[in-house]
Amino acid sequence: MEMILNALRDSLWLTVKLLLIILPLTISYEFLKERGLFSGTKPFFFMGITRPGLLPLITGVIIGLTYGAGVIIHAIKEHKLGKREVFLILLFLSVCHAMFEDTLLFVVIGANGLIVVVARLILAVVFTYLAYRARLFET
Amino acid sequence: MEIQKPLKRGLLNGLSITFMMVKVIVPCYIAIEIIKHSGLIDIISRACKPFMTIFGLPGEAALSLVAGYVINIYAAIAVLAPLGLPAKDVTVVALMLGICHSLTIETPITKKTGANASLLLLVRIVLSLFSGVVLHLVWK
Repeated sequence: MEMILNALRDSLWLTVKLLLIILPLTISYEFLKERGLFSGTKPFFFMGITRPGLLPLITGVIIGLTYGAGVIIHAIKEHKLGKREVFLILLFLSVCHAMFEDTLLFVVIGANGLIVVVARLILAVVFTYLAYRARLFET
Repeated sequence: MEIQKPLKRGLLNGLSITFMMVKVIVPCYIAIEIIKHSGLIDIISRACKPFMTIFGLPGEAALSLVAGYVINIYAAIAVLAPLGLPAKDVTVVALMLGICHSLTIETPITKKTGANASLLLLVRIVLSLFSGVVLHLVWK
């Protein structure tokens, strides 16, 4: 019984957090889109990520995979992001997401945050680049 | 500039995304509660204890790593903090868990995007273990 209550409490709290974080994001996204900020498909520097793919990428890096994934799912539908790009974004985010929250939690108990952040960023960039160059899922 | 239309679209999109995420996450939370009470975490971390030396960590850190992988970073920190480990050890755990954590929730979410979630799961676990070993060796 306690287990179910715990799960329900956590779920409810998460729903509130999701609403508080995702609503401002999706609303500001619509306004930015009105200004044509997310059009174009030129690959973003060297990782095979296009401009519409940048929003979910940045969202995930800053606030986390859960929120980032929500925005990704939306961007996939709206911009018809290809399977390959979705994989590249997710690969980058798998290694490198919620960079503030995750890092600070460990810094509080004595970790060197700079090492953690730099190592994760390097690994994410290197592996995303390798997957991009390896032409995974290219059709 | 038009205000009402984008506002309405943003609201509707946000609500539908939230609803979809909740549908994915609630079952995961229930699964996590069951795992927490099943003693599974203890069994796995006991089995992992002898291997902690490859990361330069004491055996007790296994519980934190397994809790982080399966449950989340908060659970990992709750068992890590009382150990009072030196900065190097905490940084190794932080890097390993930064790369790979909350797998019970993040893997289903990843799957929801249509990406190859099992491949990404494998990548995260391998990179996590690899980075732990490397950081331990590099940090004198």
